[in-house]
Amino acid sequence: MAEVVLKGIRKSFGAVDVIKGIDLTIRDGEFCVFVGPSGCGKSTLLRIIAGLETATGGTLHIDGREVSKAEPSERGITMVFQSYALYPHLTVRQNIGFGLSLAKVPKDEIARIVTATAATLQLEKLLDRKPKELSGGQRQRVAIGRSIVRNPKVFLFDEPLSNLDASLRSQMRIEITELHAKLATTMIYVTHDQVEAMTMADKIVVLNGGTIEQVGSPMELYNAPATPFVAGFIGSPKMNLYEGKLAQEMGCQTYGIRPEHVLLGAEGRWQGRVKHVEHLGADAIVHLDVEGLGSLVARTTGDTGLRPGGDVWASPQPGKEFRY
Amino acid sequence: MTRRQYWTGIIATVLALVIFVVPFVFIAFTAVKDKAQASHLDFTWPLQFLFWQNLVDVVSTRNYMLLLAYFNSSIITVGAVAMLILFGAMVGYVLQRRQSRWNKVIFGCVLAGLIIPPAVVPTIWVMQGLGLFKTIWGMVFIQVAYGLAFSVLLYRSFIATIPRDLDEAARIDGARPLQIFLRVILPLLKPVTVTLIVVQSIAIFNDFTNPLYYLPGKENVTVQLTLFNFQSQFSTQFNLLFMNILLVTIPPLIVFIFFNRQIVAGMTAGAVKG
Ligand SMILES: Nc1ncnc2c1ncn2[C@@H]1O[C@H](COP(=O)(O)OP(=O)(O)O)[C@@H](O)[C@H]1O
Ligand SMILES: [Mg+2]
Repeated sequence: MAEVVLKGIRKSFGAVDVIKGIDLTIRDGEFCVFVGPSGCGKSTLLRIIAGLETATGGTLHIDGREVSKAEPSERGITMVFQSYALYPHLTVRQNIGFGLSLAKVPKDEIARIVTATAATLQLEKLLDRKPKELSGGQRQRVAIGRSIVRNPKVFLFDEPLSNLDASLRSQMRIEITELHAKLATTMIYVTHDQVEAMTMADKIVVLNGGTIEQVGSPMELYNAPATPFVAGFIGSPKMNLYEGKLAQEMGCQTYGIRPEHVLLGAEGRWQGRVKHVEHLGADAIVHLDVEGLGSLVARTTGDTGLRPGGDVWASPQPGKEFRY
Repeated sequence: MTRRQYWTGIIATVLALVIFVVPFVFIAFTAVKDKAQASHLDFTWPLQFLFWQNLVDVVSTRNYMLLLAYFNSSIITVGAVAMLILFGAMVGYVLQRRQSRWNKVIFGCVLAGLIIPPAVVPTIWVMQGLGLFKTIWGMVFIQVAYGLAFSVLLYRSFIATIPRDLDEAARIDGARPLQIFLRVILPLLKPVTVTLIVVQSIAIFNDFTNPLYYLPGKENVTVQLTLFNFQSQFSTQFNLLFMNILLVTIPPLIVFIFFNRQIVAGMTAGAVKG
């Protein structure tokens, strides 16, 4: 139960500025997702909050206490690593109880807590196995179990699902969301996957090149992206973005329209030729070649009769255009 | 298995037998012969099996010098190997994990320790200055100094394969640096540790020249030096000499048999995947 406040956080490795001044407040109990392309500094920012890196400048408060210089273990945080970082020589039981045994908690107390935690994560049968005898999803749960027993004020996750296959990933997404609902603890979650960000977050922080592009709820970011970068990053398939002469004709620097807001029909604003159709079942993604515009992606219903080579007219849904 | 593999297998076994077992059998035979037959130094069946008598003779020679030698050698071996492992792992860990501008200098020193040949007389001079010459602990430190560079290098390269995430996870779990080392890193170094225990303990236990230089004195005798008991300029009691060799060979053999499986396991296990 804690608020996390970052003020003017900066970080440079040598001459390279990786984090260029971040001001951010994460409210108590919030599920906050840092999202951005690879290399934008998400992990670095998370590690600064964890205390594994020291910031070059700025202050960090957790639960009202200034912790910029505190050891990781004194910050009331815990972290789930991308690699899970389970201790290979210890059993699941010992892995989960490691922090407690360091804190000199009595043995029977540790046993009680570990058993209770394992029960909530369905790990009872695996307690005496070593990490290498577990599947990816099970390792993930053990890593989460190890975090839960520390009773942290803030959970930190660094791309915890990126080593899992697609179906397991969507299952773990739900499990982590349920865990958050149950514990109601502040959670900060790093990912480069905008689907994870949209589906899990209360609040999304879009990072780009070491600065914050925009902060908001998933729907805020979808409905009102503040910059072309956010517009292109949030939403799938990506928004159609046009710059240069065409955008100037529309009276802006950058013009954007989401594929789901492109209407196809027998008449419209742009005439195009169908290049390719991706059938997803309920939906179909149509790739068009439009004269004077370049390529345009549109989403339409799955029973579309469009075939590659056919001609079609496209027009933007009124009020859904973005101009920057 | 093809015919050819079968025959190469047979030949390899026979060769191994000739190279490794025949000398050992020769030692064993000579060790149980009487003095006269042993002096021929030939590979013949012993006329008399004087195993027990020769054994008692060897052990009791010079007021049970062999027992004292066992004691001294064991202390030197155990002490030196323990220090080699602890310091080798600690130095290797810090050198690999903590970047500082001293790293290059320290690494240079380690390499120098591996490359520069030891000089006996200056070493003795230093040891005399420290009051360590002719002491068991002086000998332990010498062995540590000679072996440390190698074990640091071995540990350092192995630690490079252990993901840093583990250190960080332990740190978040509340472990202090020494606890991270002792409870997370050191257990993961077991393959290197076992290899070092075997290689170094056999080398140190069997060391002949270093005790000869640095550890003179009757009360400081080590096992290899007891071989002098039965050799002299004019006569050598080969049966007793070979019995002594037999006895001296046994402890390293036990170490090897005991750790053999773990060595093989350690060499094939490689890094910590998990
Ligand atoms: N220890 C380090 N030393 C130097 N550069 C680093 C270090 N850690 C990260 N970086 C650089 O900082 C940038 C951001 O890295 P990171 O936070 O890991 O990005 P991501 O958003 O993919 O998690 C990258 O360009 C990376 O090369
Ligand atoms: Mg990262």
